[in-house]
Amino acid sequence: MNVFAIGIGGTGAKCIESLVHLHAAGLLTDQAGKTIRLGTFLVEPDQQSTLLARTEIAVDRYSKLRKQLGNATEGFAASEIDHYGSWSPLAGAKPGITLDQVFSKPVLRNKASGLADLFDCLFPPEEQTAELDVGFRGRPPIGSAVMSRITLDKAAESGAWKKLLADIKTASGSGDPPIIHLFGSVFGGTGASGVPTLGAMLKTWLQQQNLLKVKVHASLLLPYFDFDGQGDQGTGIHAEVGNFQLNTDAALQYLANNGKSCFDQVYLLGSDIKARYDFSIGGRSQVNDAHIIELLATLGIRHGCSLASAKDYAYMLSRGKEDQINWEDVPDNGVVGTALAQAARFAVAWKRNYSLEIDAAQNTPLKTFASGAPWIRKYFSLTEESTINSEGRLSIRSQEELALKQAIDGYAATLLQWLRQFSSNTGLGFKQELFTEEQLTNDETYANQLHNVVRGSAKPTLAVHEDTVDRIKIQMDKLPDSEIKFRGVAGLADSLWKLCIQPKTS
Amino acid sequence: MKPKQFALIACVIAGILWIYLGQNLVLLNVFAEFFSGGGLNLSEYLDSAASPSFQALLFTCFAVTLIWLVSTAKKSPMNSVEVREMRPAWWICATLLILLGWLYQLVFTVLIWQFSGTAPVEGVEANFYQVPPGGWATLLVLVILDVGLLFWLPTMLAAPKSYKFVVPGALKFFGGR
Repeated sequence: MNVFAIGIGGTGAKCIESLVHLHAAGLLTDQAGKTIRLGTFLVEPDQQSTLLARTEIAVDRYSKLRKQLGNATEGFAASEIDHYGSWSPLAGAKPGITLDQVFSKPVLRNKASGLADLFDCLFPPEEQTAELDVGFRGRPPIGSAVMSRITLDKAAESGAWKKLLADIKTASGSGDPPIIHLFGSVFGGTGASGVPTLGAMLKTWLQQQNLLKVKVHASLLLPYFDFDGQGDQGTGIHAEVGNFQLNTDAALQYLANNGKSCFDQVYLLGSDIKARYDFSIGGRSQVNDAHIIELLATLGIRHGCSLASAKDYAYMLSRGKEDQINWEDVPDNGVVGTALAQAARFAVAWKRNYSLEIDAAQNTPLKTFASGAPWIRKYFSLTEESTINSEGRLSIRSQEELALKQAIDGYAATLLQWLRQFSSNTGLGFKQELFTEEQLTNDETYANQLHNVVRGSAKPTLAVHEDTVDRIKIQMDKLPDSEIKFRGVAGLADSLWKLCIQPKTS
Repeated sequence: MKPKQFALIACVIAGILWIYLGQNLVLLNVFAEFFSGGGLNLSEYLDSAASPSFQALLFTCFAVTLIWLVSTAKKSPMNSVEVREMRPAWWICATLLILLGWLYQLVFTVLIWQFSGTAPVEGVEANFYQVPPGGWATLLVLVILDVGLLFWLPTMLAAPKSYKFVVPGALKFFGGR
C-alpha cells in the first residue's frame, strides 16, 4: 500500500518530521500488517524555514541510512521513504515578492480596474505589500489567494509535482488504492490556506483522472501553541496569537460546509494547554520544537490505513487526565508505545554506547578490545586489516562499515532530538509520562542505564539494575548464529533493535 | 534460583567438600610418597598443619570471592575499557590468595612451632614439621589448584554482567563465537 503524505506550512513540515520517525519505527502498516510505502512532500513558501530544514534533515538522514543499509536488515529501519522534495507556491518568484506583485496589481489596475478595486477591498495595503518569502504571515486570505493560483494539471507537467502525481497514478493501479494524507495547521497562514485548497485541488484532479478509489485524508491541527512576545513595526504583518481562534473558526466553518469536497476523512487535534514558542516571523529564526500533538496527528495515517477507518468523517482525541498525557492516551498504545520505546532505547543505546565502542575499537588492537567486548566477534572479524575474513565477517575498520555507522549516528541523533523536544515541550502546568527528557541527550559520553528512557506502560518490565546496555551486549554475545542474519554494523544495529525492547531474563 | 546463584552455591559446597574431605584423601592415597622420609606421620601432619592451613585458605578465598561478587554486582561496565580495567584487580586478588595460601602452609608447618618453641613430633628435636621437598612442592601446587577452585571458578561462573569476562578463560567458555 502507498501513502503520500503532504506537509503544508511549518506545522505540516513538523508533522512530516514526526512521520519519518514513526515510519522508521515500523508503525505505518496496512490492514495486513505489512509496512506501507511512504512518499513525503513538503509545501512551504518559506524556503528558509528552520522547520522545513529540520524535516528535510530527518528525511535526508533516514534516506541515507536506508540507502546504506539496503536489504541488510530485518527490523531496524526497514521501511522505505520516497521523498519528493519541497515546493513553494511562490517558486520562481523573485526574492521579497509581495501579494500585489503576485497579482500584478498595476496591470490589474490598467486592464480590469474593478478587479483591482476588489483586490484593494479584500487585502489591506500592509497585506498587499508584505514580503511573502517568509510565508503567509499567519494570514490565511493571503495564502488562499496565492494557493488558488496553482493548477495541478499545470503543476503535473514538471518538477516534484510531476513525479508525485505520476506515482499516485501508478499506485492507484495496484491492489490497495493509495491514500493521500495532508498535514497542516488551520490557525496559521500557510496551513490554514493550503490544506483545504490543496485538498480540494487533489480531489478534483483525482476525479478528472478517474482515480476515484484514491482517498484524501487530512490531519488538521487546531491551536496548540502560543507565542512568547510579539512582532514589532519592523516585522511588518505577522502571525498573532489573537488571530489563531478566528482563523480556526473560519477554517472549521469552511470544513463544515465544504469539507467533503476537500477530504474523505479528517483528524482534528489541538490542545487547551499551549506550548510556548518564541515569536518569529518565519525563516531561520522559527525554531519551534517538536510537539506531541504532531505525533498524534501523524498517527492519523496509521488509523487511516486500518480496517476501522472508513466509518466516520472526522476524528478527535481526548486525554484521561487534565494535566498530563500518558501512553493510555495514545491511540493503539500497545503497539505504538512499544515501537516508540524501542526506537528511543535503540537511539540511546546506539548513540551513547555502541557507536562510541566502535570508535574506541579503531584505536585499540582488536583482540584486546574484544576481550572486554566479546559481542564484537559476532559481527566483525578480528583481523587488523580492513578486509573481509574467511567467515564473511567484516572489518570494523572498513570505510563502508564506518560510513554506515555514521549514517546510523546521524539518524539516531535526529531521532533523539525529536524525542527530547516533544518530551520537554509540553506547555505550562502540563506534563508527559512517555519519555524522560534528560535521558534523550546526544552527549558523547557513555550511557549504560536504559531503565528510565521510557516511562509508563511502554517501559520494559525489567529491574533497574538489569535494564542496561551491558545486559544487551551479553545477550548479543549469546545469540546463536541462526538469529544473526547480517554481519557488520548493519547486523549489529539490527540485533540491537531487536534486543533493546524484549530483553530476556537470564 | 538463578543459574549464577546456583553455580555459586555449587562452588561453595564443592570447595568445602574438597578442602575438608577430598584433598586429604588424595594426599593420603595418591601423594603419600612425596611426604615419606624425615619421620613425618602424614595423617597427623594433615590433621594438625596442612588441613588447618587449607581451611584458612578456604575462608580467605570465600571472603575475597564475596567481596569481588558484591563489588561487581554494585556497578555495571559501560564499555570494553571498564571490563579490561578490572583484569589487573582480579590478577592481584588471585596472586595474593596464592601467596597467602603458601604463607598459611609455612605458618602452620613451621612458624607457629618455631614461635612457640615446641616440637610438633614427639621424639624429634626439630621444632617444625620436616616436610620433604616433594611434599612442599605438592602443597604449593595444591594451593594454586585450590585458589583455582575457590576463587577462579566462582568468580567466572557467578560474576555478574560483563565482569565475568574479566576472569581468565571466561571468554573461551562463555564469550564470543
